[in-house]
Amino acid sequence: MNIVVGFKIVPDDQMIKIVGDKLVTDAPLKVSTYDKNAIEEAVRLKEKFGGKVVGITVGNNDRKSIREALAMGVDEVISVLVKNPDVYVTAMAIVENVKPLNPDILLFSEMSTDSGTSALPAYVAELLGLPYVSNVRSLKIEGNKIIADRGMVSYIETVETTLPAVISVGGEINTPRIPSVKQIMESAKKPVKEVKFEAQPKVVIRDIKPLIVNRKKIVIEESDIDKAVDKLLEYLKADGVL
Amino acid sequence: MGCFKTKIVIFSENPAYLRMAAAIGQSIGGEIIGISAIPDVKFVNKLYLIDKMDEDGIVDLITSLSPDLVITGSVRKDRAIAARVAGRLKLPIVPDIVSLKLDGNKAIANRVAYSGMGLVTIEAELPLVVTVVGTQLQPKELEPSMEKVQLKEGRIKVVSKKSTASGANLATAQIVVGVGRGIGSKENVKYAEQLAEALGGVVGGSRPVAAELGWVPEDRQIGLSGLRIRPKLYIALGISGQPQHIAGIRDSKVIVAVNTDKNAPILENADYLVVADAVSFCKAMLKKLGKQ
Repeated sequence: MNIVVGFKIVPDDQMIKIVGDKLVTDAPLKVSTYDKNAIEEAVRLKEKFGGKVVGITVGNNDRKSIREALAMGVDEVISVLVKNPDVYVTAMAIVENVKPLNPDILLFSEMSTDSGTSALPAYVAELLGLPYVSNVRSLKIEGNKIIADRGMVSYIETVETTLPAVISVGGEINTPRIPSVKQIMESAKKPVKEVKFEAQPKVVIRDIKPLIVNRKKIVIEESDIDKAVDKLLEYLKADGVL
Repeated sequence: MGCFKTKIVIFSENPAYLRMAAAIGQSIGGEIIGISAIPDVKFVNKLYLIDKMDEDGIVDLITSLSPDLVITGSVRKDRAIAARVAGRLKLPIVPDIVSLKLDGNKAIANRVAYSGMGLVTIEAELPLVVTVVGTQLQPKELEPSMEKVQLKEGRIKVVSKKSTASGANLATAQIVVGVGRGIGSKENVKYAEQLAEALGGVVGGSRPVAAELGWVPEDRQIGLSGLRIRPKLYIALGISGQPQHIAGIRDSKVIVAVNTDKNAPILENADYLVVADAVSFCKAMLKKLGKQ
């Protein structure tokens, strides 16, 4: 099975800070949270059906994050360097690089932690003319048939479609493996292909401002819980919410 | 511009979001074309009444209309459809907008990014696809013409659909008690429920608790990819404060966190942090509230 998994290298969302009137996003880079679920699912499919997993990442080419994907079981990574990638540019870059691989399945996560658009997998599916199943929480493949449970928050939908297809997964689908030291060592030997892609973005970011909500940050610490609750209730009454 | 009339197509699986999309569309001005499976849609100029929620069929219908602007809601089905329409027509897409203005052919939109921490101003040209967050705006009533549309069967066959709805309406609740892993177990959630009941509120949960562990029903998932709530009081029980969760509670008026760790990251986004075990806190609160 030819498996492609897309992952995004993003600033660690727990390290992004609001400093004064600026959002400081030059935090350490990592593989975006649910993208690890997509990688895990891709590797599980390879373990079950054989074949190869090619990872593709567009934008940041942080070596440590790429190594992490390789250590989890991705066989090789295509790292696409682009300037100012929006959803359109990223999707075009992915399609140009994965089309020659003739993938049976393309896996993505349902949302990245930085831009959080949820739009990329669908955009790629349309550019490739493939069926798209979003928000998959469990995935079965039998022959040419895909059976997927989609978590739609207010309902769960079971759908069927056929390979080749594009799938986006949520955090519920699996628990990403933690690579062993040996796998981490071996990942250094796996191929990483760096390529460039250029296209005019259709969306331009004019400004990024922190979304500041001023909170009081009052810590109530008492050895006696009843005292703590009394204090809290006093505060909440003063605030007019109780 | 002359007699140019912006053709705006609106869609949402969810009626509240459809109204919001219409309100944004009306504020832009133009011909509003609605796509819905519900006939009683009065805030559009033209309604295409579809016979089924087939994603392929809806994407085909929207793209066939050659819209200048597509506005959808932001529930998961809306997002998938919006992004597919953008991909099929190679259009720019700006999801989760909180505001939209047009200057000729140029659109300026604000959206929230970086797990709710950043407000990003974005510029793109029409034709454009956007999804809207929030349901607070009300459109004005119009007298739509209606056309029934039979969508073709798409490539995605729906085998079954099971509701996860538990009857609680977190979107409009004034008081919400949020449960995280730190409450310890599924059994302990009953204390959160008793507390919510005593306060006249409802229980929600972080994504791990709602979607992965199933301690609270899945439709009560609070966060970036679940529900974004705006109660006057939010009490977070045993929730550490992952950015994805904070994104869902930012609009709360007052946030109380209960955590055994006084350095839990949620403090940054809380008005009050009670350093305590979540269950003991619930019991003590119930006792006090019972006395009143």
